Amino acid sequence: MSRWRPSPTEERWLELTELLGDAVPPEALAERSGDWRSTGLLARSALFVLGFAAAALLLGILRSGDEAALLVAGLVAIFAAEWLTVRRRLFASGIEEGLSVAGCLLVGAWIATRLEPRATVAGASVLMLVLIVAGGAAGLRRLNPFVTTCAAIGLVAWVGSTTAAGAIDGVIGRDLTALLFGSLLAAAALALGAREFRRPSHDRMLDWLVATLPVAAYAQYASWSAFDPSRATGGNDAGRLAAIVLLLALGSVMLWTGLRRRRHAPLWGFLGCLAGLAVELRAAFTLATEPWLILCGLVALIAGVALDHYLRTPHDGLTSASLAQREGPLDLLQTAGAALAARRAGPEAPPTESTFEGGGGKFGGGGASGNF
Amino acid sequence: MHSLEPELRALHAEGAIDDATAARALARDGGQVFSVHPELRATLYAGVLMVMSGVGIALARNLERIGPLGIVAAIALLAATCAVPAVRARRAGRESGVAAEYLLLLAALLLSADLAYAERQFSLLGPLWSWHLMLLAVVHAVIAYAFASPLVLAASLTALAGWFGVGGTVGHALHLGYSTPQLGGRALACATAIVAWRYADRRARPGTRFTDVFDHFAANLAFWGAIAWCLEWPWAFAGLPLLGALAYASVRRGLRIGRESFLVYGVVYAAIGLGAAVAPELHGLTTQLGFVLVVVCAAAALLWRLRRRLREPVA
Repeated sequence: MSRWRPSPTEERWLELTELLGDAVPPEALAERSGDWRSTGLLARSALFVLGFAAAALLLGILRSGDEAALLVAGLVAIFAAEWLTVRRRLFASGIEEGLSVAGCLLVGAWIATRLEPRATVAGASVLMLVLIVAGGAAGLRRLNPFVTTCAAIGLVAWVGSTTAAGAIDGVIGRDLTALLFGSLLAAAALALGAREFRRPSHDRMLDWLVATLPVAAYAQYASWSAFDPSRATGGNDAGRLAAIVLLLALGSVMLWTGLRRRRHAPLWGFLGCLAGLAVELRAAFTLATEPWLILCGLVALIAGVALDHYLRTPHDGLTSASLAQREGPLDLLQTAGAALAARRAGPEAPPTESTFEGGGGKFGGGGASGNF
Repeated sequence: MHSLEPELRALHAEGAIDDATAARALARDGGQVFSVHPELRATLYAGVLMVMSGVGIALARNLERIGPLGIVAAIALLAATCAVPAVRARRAGRESGVAAEYLLLLAALLLSADLAYAERQFSLLGPLWSWHLMLLAVVHAVIAYAFASPLVLAASLTALAGWFGVGGTVGHALHLGYSTPQLGGRALACATAIVAWRYADRRARPGTRFTDVFDHFAANLAFWGAIAWCLEWPWAFAGLPLLGALAYASVRRGLRIGRESFLVYGVVYAAIGLGAAVAPELHGLTTQLGFVLVVVCAAAALLWRLRRRLREPVA
């Protein structure tokens, strides 16, 4: 039994406490989880932000014009996070994670200030590398998938900015090295995911890499020039073909693995690959933006309708019905998403020659108090 | 991959969980039952957004070629087509699936775009154009009730918030330039209207699926309104007590129904409002930052304690 983090067995019981909700009183499982205490996703996110903000505010209070404030604020934040872990036995609770990540980043920033200004490693920024390492270390210390994934995405960007990557890009095509590296990391995480881990958090860290790296690496490769018809046939056809083949291969493996293992992360990774493929194919066929958007949207809707129809009756345990009985973060996102889409589709204020005096807000405004 | 099967079997053997809960949890843990519902929702939402964006650009670029009447008719036809699966499900007396629900949302959004376009082209309501939003709110509400669709209800409430002069999204709340007392009053009026609607809906249909949507909209709008009042003195004299009352009500509701989102609303919005009202009145940046730090730490401790008291229903 460790004071610094739950043992794998304790972490598994903590996971079970979250999974079972009020089906089992948490007190009944508290002893088995070593009295470690965790929280739900929304509260954890809010507490993470609050912890991060507290560290930033501390830096603001300690500001003294020199770099030592970075070190002091960082160390205080890390100490507070460790105190919460060791004394209050908080794990994956958000507050200690936010403090720890902010503290490590501040210490990393202080180290970077001690180095030569504009120092580089392999032609890429040392500051960025130090921050990535600091963030990654904090993520691993806290076993936090969000933070380790952010560090991995940062690493992909950093690798893409090295001189070696530039040289490889010169041969295989613009920014393809970052895409290739990100895809390789995602594939490695996918392969590692086949192993049986005792700690649920190890699984989750790998899952996040699998789910997000394809689309994150592609976003670094793609640029808005992909939507510029004048550059669509810009002579980098070999690079585009390589990107399409890469995304196709990775996407196929993700889909197959997701269905075989019955895991969500590879399916999200597959959807990310599909999004990248759609953008690349648009550039390859020089399609105008609006038919491309409508076409892709219709394909997504038709595929969704067909899948929903097919899986309404479960096939081999696979179903399109929701298994959750309580409102989850995705339900909240769905409501917010519908409101956002409705706002975009709604009418805007008429041109300025109107006699209407707007009550503020792009989305009309003034129904209640407009003066006519 | 990890499996919690040994722990689940141990709990079941001890009688800590009943047969049904154990069977359900074991089936999900072992992958015997696997739902692609989240992926399906994301795909359908992306489809709706892309079609809407494409239609928006097409409208702007092809206006002269097609003509206003042609565009209005084409979009109306497209909206009607999208509503077909939901209509068929309703006629057959079965619950519409997730795909039909998203297609219905697309139909409602296309209708919004069509009405907005028609109004802009033909100035049907003239200087009363803002009533357009109220009309949309009513039309969407009728569709939402006809098909029992919480998604379309969200569109209706957004239109209603727009009619009150509030954007209806988080981005709007964070846009402090709009956060005047007048905007706060509108947001609070809108929240009150939504709460009244919610209670009427609950009384008329006890098994309604809309309560959560009403609650989230009302809570966010009310908090935005209270925070807007907190930003300006002397309005803050009313805004701060109101914020406190709203935070108390939100936390109480969260604890009663087992929803952590309402705990987060209550604590985080209260912290934002308190910091926004008091910090600018203090002298010196260090004092201001120190005060905000105290508020942040207190909010974190409070949220942690409240979350520990929450009993969520089983997943």
